[in-house]
Amino acid sequence: MKKYFREISVAAALGILLLALAIFAPSFFQPQPLLSLVTREAPTLVVACGMALVIICRQIDISVGSQFAVCSVCAGLLAAMHWPLALVLVASILIGATFGAFNGALVAGLGLPSIVVTLATMVTWREGLRWLRQGVWVDLPNGVQWFGLPQMTGQWTLVLVALVILILLALALKHFAIGRFIYAVGSDVEAARLAGIRPRLMTFGVFVFMGALTGLAAMMNTIQSPQVDPNSGTGLELKTIAAVVVGGVAISGGRGTLLGVFAGLLLLACISPALTHLHVEAFWGKVIQGAIILLAVVADGLRNRKQRN
Amino acid sequence: MDTDKHGFKTVLLRHETILFAVLAAEWIFFDAIGQNFGTYDNTCDILRHSCEIGLLALAMTPIILTGGIDLSVGSLLGLCAILFGKFWRDAGMPVPLAAACTIGVGALAGGLNASLIAWLRLPPLIVTLGTFSLFRGLAEAITHGVDTFTDFPASFLFLGQERWLGIPAQALVFIAAAIFFWLLVHRTTFGRSFRAIGFSPEGARYAGIPVGRRVAMVYVLAGIISAIAAIIYTARLGQAKADAGTGYELFAITAVVLGGTSIFGGVGSIHGTLLGVAAIAVLHSGIAHALLPGEMAGMLTGVLLILALAGSILPKTISDLRARKAALKIPKQTA
Repeated sequence: MKKYFREISVAAALGILLLALAIFAPSFFQPQPLLSLVTREAPTLVVACGMALVIICRQIDISVGSQFAVCSVCAGLLAAMHWPLALVLVASILIGATFGAFNGALVAGLGLPSIVVTLATMVTWREGLRWLRQGVWVDLPNGVQWFGLPQMTGQWTLVLVALVILILLALALKHFAIGRFIYAVGSDVEAARLAGIRPRLMTFGVFVFMGALTGLAAMMNTIQSPQVDPNSGTGLELKTIAAVVVGGVAISGGRGTLLGVFAGLLLLACISPALTHLHVEAFWGKVIQGAIILLAVVADGLRNRKQRN
Repeated sequence: MDTDKHGFKTVLLRHETILFAVLAAEWIFFDAIGQNFGTYDNTCDILRHSCEIGLLALAMTPIILTGGIDLSVGSLLGLCAILFGKFWRDAGMPVPLAAACTIGVGALAGGLNASLIAWLRLPPLIVTLGTFSLFRGLAEAITHGVDTFTDFPASFLFLGQERWLGIPAQALVFIAAAIFFWLLVHRTTFGRSFRAIGFSPEGARYAGIPVGRRVAMVYVLAGIISAIAAIIYTARLGQAKADAGTGYELFAITAVVLGGTSIFGGVGSIHGTLLGVAAIAVLHSGIAHALLPGEMAGMLTGVLLILALAGSILPKTISDLRARKAALKIPKQTA
C-alpha cells in the first residue's frame, strides 16, 4: 500500500474526476467520443512508456517530439509511394531507432548530459524537417487511414496495441533481468557497474528503444487521419514528461512504475475534454495541467520532508 | 600546470576564447557573403533582437551555476506581457506604475518557483515544467486566447523601437543587466556560493552557505528579469499577446550552455553567456542576410551546441580512456 502510494493517489484523483463528470456531465461518457479521445492518446501512451524507461534510467529525452514529426512525415511519404503498410511500419520504427541511437551514442558514448544533447537534436531535427519539407502536408492514398479497416476496428486496434505494449513493458520492467538493470543503472551507476551491469550499453539501449517506440507511435498517429501534419508532435516531450512525473516516476531515476504513468497520462488527457463538458473555457486546461504537476511533486516533497524529520 | 590559470596555452584553449573565435569567424563569413550584414544599422538590429533572449540567458546563468534549470521563463514572459497590458489598459495605470507592478508579479512568480525548489527541495526541472504550463495557461485564460494589447504611447515604444545616443534604447537595459550579473557572479561572495552549491549542495551547507536562500535568490531574480524582458518585448513589437516568448527558455538555455556553463552546475561565466547569445544572434541575422533558408540557423545552433559540448568533454574522455587502459595493463605486466 505504502509502496504504491503515488499510483493509488493518482488513480483516485482520476476516479474522482470521472465520478464528477458522471454526475455533472454524463454526456462525457458517450462511447464514440470517448473512444476517439482514447485513440488520440494511444500514441502518446506509447511514447510515455519509452519516456518512463529513459527517466527511470536517470536520463531524459526532449527530442521525442521532433523525432515523432520526422517519423510521421517519413511514414506518410513512404505510404504515399504505395509501400505496403507493414513495411512502412518497420521503416518508421527503424528511423526512430536511428535517431534514438544518435542520442544514445552522444549520451552513453561521449558521456554528454542528455538534457542538452536532446535539446540540440530536438532543434536540429525539427528545423531540418521544416527546411526539407517547407511545412507541406503529406496526402495519404486511400486505404491507409485505419489500415483500410472500418474506423471503429481501426480505433480499437490502436488502443489495444498501446495497451499491449504498456502491459508487456510493465511486466518486463518488474520481472525481467533487463528491466531490473534499468532501475539499477538509474539508482546508482557505479553500483550497477560493480554488479556486472554495463551502464553505458543499457543507456544506449534505452535511447534506441525510446526512438523505436516513437517511430511506432508516429505510425499510429499517421494512420489516424487522411493527411500528415508536418508539425505533429510539437510539445509531445513536455506532455509525456508531465505524465511520467505525475505518475510517480522520480526524475532522479531508479523509481516508478508504468501503471502510475498510465494513470498520470489518463488524468492529464481527461482534463481538457472534461472542461469542455463542464462548460469551462478550454484555456484553463494548461493552468490545471500545471497545477496537477506541481501538486504531485509538492505531495512528494512534503512526504520526503516528513521522512527527513 | 593545471593551476596556471593565465598561461598562454590555457587562455588559448579556454572555452570563451574558442567561442570568441567562432563568433569572429561567423562575422567575417557573413560579412563576405551577405548583403548589408556588417553595417552599423544591422549591428544595432542584431542587438535589438537579442535583448529579450539575452536578458533571460543572463538570469539563467546563475540558475544553471547552482545546478538548477528554469523552463518557465518564456511562459512568465508571456504572462507578464499580458499583465502589463492589463495594468495599463484595463486598470488605467500610467506606464511606469504598470511596469513596476509587472516586475512585482515577476518577482512573485519567481518566488513560487523559489519556494518549491529551495524549501521543499523539489527538482527544478519538474517544478518549472509545472509553472511553464501554469504561467502560459494563465496568460491564455486571462486573454481568452484572443485579446491583444496595442496602441501603447509613443514615449513607451521609444524603449523598444528608437535609438538613444546612437544605440537601441533597450540595449542600455541589457548592458546594465549584464554588468549587474557579471558583478554578481564574478565579483561577489554570492557568485562564489552559486558555484559552490552547483558543485555540491551538501558541501556548501557544511561550509556555512545558506543554500536555501541563495537558491531562492536566483529564481526570484529570474522572475524579475523575465518581467523586464516582457516589458521590452512589448515595447519592441508594440503589442502584447498571450503567446509572447514561446520557446524562449530553450534559446536562453542553449545560449548559456554554448557559453561554456556546465549543465551540472559549478562551472560557467557571464561573459561566456554573452558570447553564446551573440553567436546565436549573429548566426540568425547572418543567415537571413545571406538569403539562406532560415531553418539553417536553428539546425546550425543545434550542431554548434553538440560540438561545444563534445569539445569541452573530449579531453576528460580521452584521459579517462587512457587511465582505464593503464589500469588494465598493470596486472598483465606483473603476472
